[in-house]
Amino acid sequence: MIRYARLTLFLIAIVLIQTTVMPYLRILDVVPELALVATIAIAYREGPETGAGFGFVAGFATDLFIDTPLGLSALVFTLTGYLIGVVQGAMARTAWWVPPVLGGLGGLVSGLLFVGIGTLVGQEQLWALRSLRIVAISACYDAVVAFIVFPVASLACHSDGPRTASPSNAQGW
Amino acid sequence: MLVLLLLTSITLITLDTRSNGGGATATARNTARDAISPVQDAVGDVLDPIDDWFDGVTRSGDLKNENARLRRDLAEAVASAAAGRGALRENRELKELAGLTYAPGLTGVDAQVVTASPSNFSETVGIDKGTDAGVIVGMSVVTGDGLVGRVTSTSRRRATVLLLTDPKSGVSVRFENSGALEVASGRQGSSLLALDVPLDVKVRRGELVLTSGADPSIFPGGLPVGTVVSVRSLVGALSQTVLVQPLLEVGHATFVRVLGAAVEGGSR
Repeated sequence: MIRYARLTLFLIAIVLIQTTVMPYLRILDVVPELALVATIAIAYREGPETGAGFGFVAGFATDLFIDTPLGLSALVFTLTGYLIGVVQGAMARTAWWVPPVLGGLGGLVSGLLFVGIGTLVGQEQLWALRSLRIVAISACYDAVVAFIVFPVASLACHSDGPRTASPSNAQGW
Repeated sequence: MLVLLLLTSITLITLDTRSNGGGATATARNTARDAISPVQDAVGDVLDPIDDWFDGVTRSGDLKNENARLRRDLAEAVASAAAGRGALRENRELKELAGLTYAPGLTGVDAQVVTASPSNFSETVGIDKGTDAGVIVGMSVVTGDGLVGRVTSTSRRRATVLLLTDPKSGVSVRFENSGALEVASGRQGSSLLALDVPLDVKVRRGELVLTSGADPSIFPGGLPVGTVVSVRSLVGALSQTVLVQPLLEVGHATFVRVLGAAVEGGSR
């Protein structure tokens, strides 16, 4: 129960920072997707099911503050969380470069999904070459903020009980 | 579980798209935005100076040009710096709003821009006036320089303004010289507006572009939109592409006026 409370507080903090602070920290007119990076971090630590669930809630919370259709970010974050969770299950060990690489790759995949699915649901303005530029820059930014978000996410979902599907439980080679 | 979450997301998208800015999804959005508005105000007060610094760091190219210009106006710049650049800018914007020479007959409510878009794919700003101040969806938003955009959603204490430069934004405009009517649209990631104009319409660089006010445009006529910066036509093309630079950096306004809005006790 305490773990869920911590995760809820973590999510609220992430959404608050995303909507109040990050618009002031644009680089090349692009903001990082903190809620997405948090989803990736949770999925990396906890696996696909939890990643998808957290992604849905984080995406829905993000949707409340942007003007694309409600549910679009929820859908994209759910898929991204699930994919990252599946990928982490195949990883044998952790390394310092895993958070930025996953943050960047997750940002790239999520951005492309957002543009593709967004176009399908009537947001035709997203289907433009410039969207690729935004996705690429945002993915780089996501990779950088992953250095901060991953450890915080790890603290938020820390559990005293045994963890499931964590790569750090693997013995490596 | 994945399938359930995906179906729920798709249902939400369908509901939101079909509700057309109303219904339960809009209520959820408005409630969330009102709830977070005090935090946004507080954070905005704290972060405005940091934002100015960060803006300077990330826009060094623009700053070089600005520096050259500032050297020429050194004496004025020193005075401005002493008085506080930010305060002077706000003062100027408010004075221009008070005068609003290009729309003397139009009343409205003045508002402060309090948030930028947290999204990478929509160019919007949040203002500190909502339905309590008479702001409703569709109202035009201007500064002393010209048109900024239109209100796309409102809660009690907040409203979201879709900027002219957003690709979803379309404005019926007329050219100052020829009087030709066209629709100017934003371009993703660009500060310019684009129009496709028939070849027989003569368009000159530097020509002013105004809102047409033609039915069914929601914008009143005669609001300055921008000036023509480029006219291009390809060989064999049936139309020419005209690029228009808005008269102000629409995302950098501090104070705006929502035309048509009226607070209790009379409009301004």
